[in-house]
Amino acid sequence: MQYFFSTYGQMLLKAVFTHFYYVLISVSIGFCIALLLGILLSRIPKYSKIIIPIISIFQTIPGIVFIGILFIYIGMVPTTVIIALSIYAIFPILKNTYVGICEVPEPYKEAARGCGMSQFQILTRVELPIALPTIISGLRMSTVYTVSWAVLAAMIGLGGLGEFIYRGVGTNNNILIIAGAIPAAIMAICLGLLIDYVQKLVTPRGLREENSK
Amino acid sequence: MIEYKNIHKEYQGVSVINNINFKINNGEFVVLIGPSGCGKTTTLKMLNRLIKIDSGEIYIDNKNIMEVDIENLRRNIGYVIQQIGLFPNMTIEENICVVPKLLKWDKDKCNNRVHELLSMVSMPYEQYAKKYPKELSGGQQQRIGVLRAIAAKPPIILMDEPFGALDPITRDILQDEVKDLQKKLNLTVIFVTHDMDEAIKLADTIIFMDKGDILQIASPEEMLRAPANEIISEFMGKRGNFLDAENMACSDLMRTPVFTIKDDKKTLECIEIMKKRQIDSLIVVDKAGIFQGVVTIESIRSKGKAGEKINSLISKDFPTVLQDDVGKTAFDLLMDKKYDYVIVLTRDNSVVGIITKSSLAKALASVVWGEM
Ligand SMILES: Nc1ncnc2c1ncn2[C@@H]1O[C@H](COP(=O)(O)OP(=O)(O)O)[C@@H](O)[C@H]1O
Ligand SMILES: [Mg+2]
Repeated sequence: MQYFFSTYGQMLLKAVFTHFYYVLISVSIGFCIALLLGILLSRIPKYSKIIIPIISIFQTIPGIVFIGILFIYIGMVPTTVIIALSIYAIFPILKNTYVGICEVPEPYKEAARGCGMSQFQILTRVELPIALPTIISGLRMSTVYTVSWAVLAAMIGLGGLGEFIYRGVGTNNNILIIAGAIPAAIMAICLGLLIDYVQKLVTPRGLREENSK
Repeated sequence: MIEYKNIHKEYQGVSVINNINFKINNGEFVVLIGPSGCGKTTTLKMLNRLIKIDSGEIYIDNKNIMEVDIENLRRNIGYVIQQIGLFPNMTIEENICVVPKLLKWDKDKCNNRVHELLSMVSMPYEQYAKKYPKELSGGQQQRIGVLRAIAAKPPIILMDEPFGALDPITRDILQDEVKDLQKKLNLTVIFVTHDMDEAIKLADTIIFMDKGDILQIASPEEMLRAPANEIISEFMGKRGNFLDAENMACSDLMRTPVFTIKDDKKTLECIEIMKKRQIDSLIVVDKAGIFQGVVTIESIRSKGKAGEKINSLISKDFPTVLQDDVGKTAFDLLMDKKYDYVIVLTRDNSVVGIITKSSLAKALASVVWGEM
């Protein structure tokens, strides 16, 4: 153990940071794009019923294939990883934003229109706040997935916790695999908890489940 | 003045409103009534342009509503819907201030207005302003729904079956409040219902619709006396017996059946029941059905503990009458204003009914106008 940390400690720390950096940047980018797209799609539900399943097919392309293709065109730079991860981060948030907004019960929208709100005011004052808990659970899903997808960065030599895992697999060294997997798992759990906490913080009392009795 | 001129509407080639015409004066309380699907909601929602008019024009004070900016038009017409539709993400205060905020009132003005409105319906600011809609009973929520509609002082209010989902006691109370507000503020109200009792109680003028046509426009008295045709008289149905005022006993004025609970219920259970039935108080009886008193949501909230039985919270301080007492007794108690209803008991103290202002009014009206 002692030996492991003196040899790999520095490297592990750096890998955790790189990994976290990839997750943070990609999820942030993905979140912005997804939120915008989700809102746009919720304005055209007729078309969205077709568009969203098509986007979801994209999601099923294996990450390795996708990073591989981007690697060929863009090269061995962090941008490659970030683009790929951002794109994967989009879908859960996009879907939840769309569903969250579309599921806002009709009476609220009708009341909002009846009060004389503009389309934009209805969106920002009624639809988004009511959809917020759903949107944030999409964000949570994306974040947790992205932590595991970011392992693929190491595949094209761009570091992160994946490096330990690949090296461990390559040299048949279980300790290295675990040294990569455990921090990744912890990171996923912690980020999940952090987002749960934020969700509690930003959900007004009137929308919380537990006192709906 | 509001004027509907040759208004026509169809869905997929099927006509649902057939060239209707009517006028409403300022300060008039108009009730649209008729069987389900006859076009009441459609007629109502064309005024604030939630539904497009196919042909014809609507004028408000001689101005064609199609020439008014749609958002401005709506901000100047209060709108109350049956599903209440208070925004769940906003507090009561924020809900009431939605339209004033859209109209860019400053903070102080909004704040003053909320105080003023909540006190009008006896819901103390300190107690309710910061609550969220789901923390209130259904009746309280719809009260706020009404306040939201009148907050920015619009001259016109539209209400689409606003009390349809409430229990009879709460409905009665809210009807009284709305009628009071309408008179006090000289509002023009268009109110949709399919309940003739409600129409008779509230309306200055009743517009009876059927299959997209207007069959009769008349005052409640007129419509009761001379219904224009079979459909209307059938709709008004057979109600009550002919009574004479001298001999009316409390049992002639009361509403039955009445909902009671047993005195061994737990506090939480009572709160659940009140929420579900959307009422603020429950009449308590013992196992034998003997009247014990009343529990109110306030007393449970302020003194009750979870899991405790309600015995200690039952208040005897509530007006009761015997069923054979003369009607005037109940009338005097109700006019005292402190209580929303009076409980009617038999000689051996079992509960047989309650008398509310509207059950009273209905009984009296039947004496004046005959069959109701
Ligand atoms: N969006 C719609 N599409 C097709 N038909 C509709 C629509 N809205 C209402 N209708 C029809 O128009 C008629 C009048 O509806 P409505 O005004 O809601 O009736 P009411 O409020 O009197 O019950 C009904 O027959 C109803 O089925
Ligand atoms: Mg209707």
